[in-house]
Amino acid sequence: MIKIKAKDVDVFYGKKQALFNISLDIEENQVTALIGPSGCGKSTFLRCLNRMNDVIDICSVKGEILINDFNINDKSCDVVRLREKIGMVFQKPNPFPKTLYENVSYGPTIHGMAQSKQEMDEIVETSLKKAALWEEVKDRLHEPGTGLSGGQQQRLCIARAISVRPEVILMDEPCSALDPIATAQIEELIDELKKEHTIIIVTHSMAQAARVSQNTGFFHLGQLIEHGSTDKIFKNPDNKKTQDYITGRFG
Amino acid sequence: MNKNKEQLLNKRYKAEQRFRLYGLSAIFMALLFLIIFIFKIFSTGYSAFQKTWLIVPVTFDAELMMLDQNPSKEDLQDADYYDIALKSMADLDPNANEDQENELKRMVSYFFEKEIKNELLNDPNLIGKTKEVYLTASDDLDQVFKGNYPRDLPEDQRRVSDYQLKIFDQLVANGKVESKFNISFFTNADSREAELAGIASSFMGSIFSILVCLMIAFPVAVLAAIYLEEFAPKNRFTDFIEVNINNLAAVPSIVFGLLGLGVLLAIFHLPRSTPLVGGITLSLMTLPTIIIAARASLKAVPPSIREAALAMGASRMQTTMHHTVPLSMPGTLSGTIIGLAQALGETAPLILIGMVAFVNTIPGSPMDPAASLPVQIYIWAESAERGFVEKVSACIMVLLGFLIIMNLFAQIIRHKFEKKWS
Repeated sequence: MIKIKAKDVDVFYGKKQALFNISLDIEENQVTALIGPSGCGKSTFLRCLNRMNDVIDICSVKGEILINDFNINDKSCDVVRLREKIGMVFQKPNPFPKTLYENVSYGPTIHGMAQSKQEMDEIVETSLKKAALWEEVKDRLHEPGTGLSGGQQQRLCIARAISVRPEVILMDEPCSALDPIATAQIEELIDELKKEHTIIIVTHSMAQAARVSQNTGFFHLGQLIEHGSTDKIFKNPDNKKTQDYITGRFG
Repeated sequence: MNKNKEQLLNKRYKAEQRFRLYGLSAIFMALLFLIIFIFKIFSTGYSAFQKTWLIVPVTFDAELMMLDQNPSKEDLQDADYYDIALKSMADLDPNANEDQENELKRMVSYFFEKEIKNELLNDPNLIGKTKEVYLTASDDLDQVFKGNYPRDLPEDQRRVSDYQLKIFDQLVANGKVESKFNISFFTNADSREAELAGIASSFMGSIFSILVCLMIAFPVAVLAAIYLEEFAPKNRFTDFIEVNINNLAAVPSIVFGLLGLGVLLAIFHLPRSTPLVGGITLSLMTLPTIIIAARASLKAVPPSIREAALAMGASRMQTTMHHTVPLSMPGTLSGTIIGLAQALGETAPLILIGMVAFVNTIPGSPMDPAASLPVQIYIWAESAERGFVEKVSACIMVLLGFLIIMNLFAQIIRHKFEKKWS
């Protein structure tokens, strides 16, 4: 099943074009990794999928991005509803400077997902459990989220993202600020999450892409050079540039 | 070669030492000025917190007070106290002639009649008896007692006569002069008589002005800052507004006073000399300060928090109201308090809108005429009587205390509530 279909996406920052003609299909309930050297546009593409580029005044996006066959670049698309369905986890853990509970309950609160305190407690608990954080923090839900370690903070951000049961989770280098142990925990988590969510992860680490993803897209200088199953990209890429990047000749 | 390097090293060390010395001497100079300033204020001002009283025996003679037998409360209110008041002062020197009796009367404040009346109202049983009553000494004798009076000047050059000094010295020798904490300095309004003048009117005037200023400037400034920082598109128009807000912050305060005079008083006919007009005028002045502080603290909220909220599906408004604004509040509040502290010390605009008028009543609302603390300082500094010299310094001390408390409060808010970003 194809969840997201990008067709001829161009992105401009002012006059400078950052993405050229990207067309990419993303499979439901699988992990798709976007790899490529710095500044190749993989994060920009990721931010197109929940229209986070709207925040940047000078950024304009052209082309179609269909999610469940609905073009999110259409004028009739409401970004609030869109972002409810498409969660995002950022490069640097960015919990709100509030309690753990408030961090996780924020999304359900603004989208009116819980009718009672019990329901909210349940959502918070399941979200934290799914993010594999519950056992570590269940006794201090009302302490500030910023007091956690980096890895815990990132899992808190994941719990926050899944609290509204999004269909898709976008991850923008979620492990780049973490140590190897925390990274391993998050990778395990991603494997678990893909049962219920479609995941797109931008990563710098080719090893990580190989470990967690089923599909991989390779970006270079704003172009999608090659995409396909992770196995194929890493073992037998069609394009010479992909080959060079995978084997570490540049990047 | 080696020697050359050593020379360079020595030179560098010496240069660093010299630089350190310059810095230290600059700090020392600044501290010295501050100490001189504070010492000067305190040494002239502290005596204003003491007030000199003459202890005078008063005979509550019913006949002189025109009272019947068993007078009612109203009778006591309406009785004539002037004669017994005069008589008790004249009795200080049984041999006094008429001129001297007049001089004796002028040894206490013109309020002495009221003081005697209050004594009797407190205890109606005093009728027909004699009691020692505390009477406020005249401002000149107050200064004499505090040692601030040039007694050795020729008599025709001072306001206190030799005769008054003689009687006063006798009273002092008999222990009939006492110095007590000057409560009336805090409870009385302004007065032409230095011994009775207090800061209650100007203090309340300042409080009301600041409250009006806060209520107008804070909401307007915060809304403007939020709009400019979070919602307004970045274009030439908003740049233009930004430049002008910065310009507004640099406009001399007297210009705002002219604005208040020309618009609030001349066009809108708001009541002259009132904290309402003063507060509105000051709010114009405080507005840019608060806008700048609020924008700076909004800017200091990391963009990652905004992104996190937006990515959760919060609208722009929700992102701003739930996250950015609460996080920026400590900075905004401390900026506001600093802006208000500036407004509190402002004199020029208030003079223009008439808050310099002589006000001898304590204002009960922002619509009543009032002075303000800095204007009070200005008014007293202009007065000729010696008694006002210490009042000026004392009023400065009160104003400074007020400012220090406000700045302290701003610091506490900043340190206690500001989030540390990891």
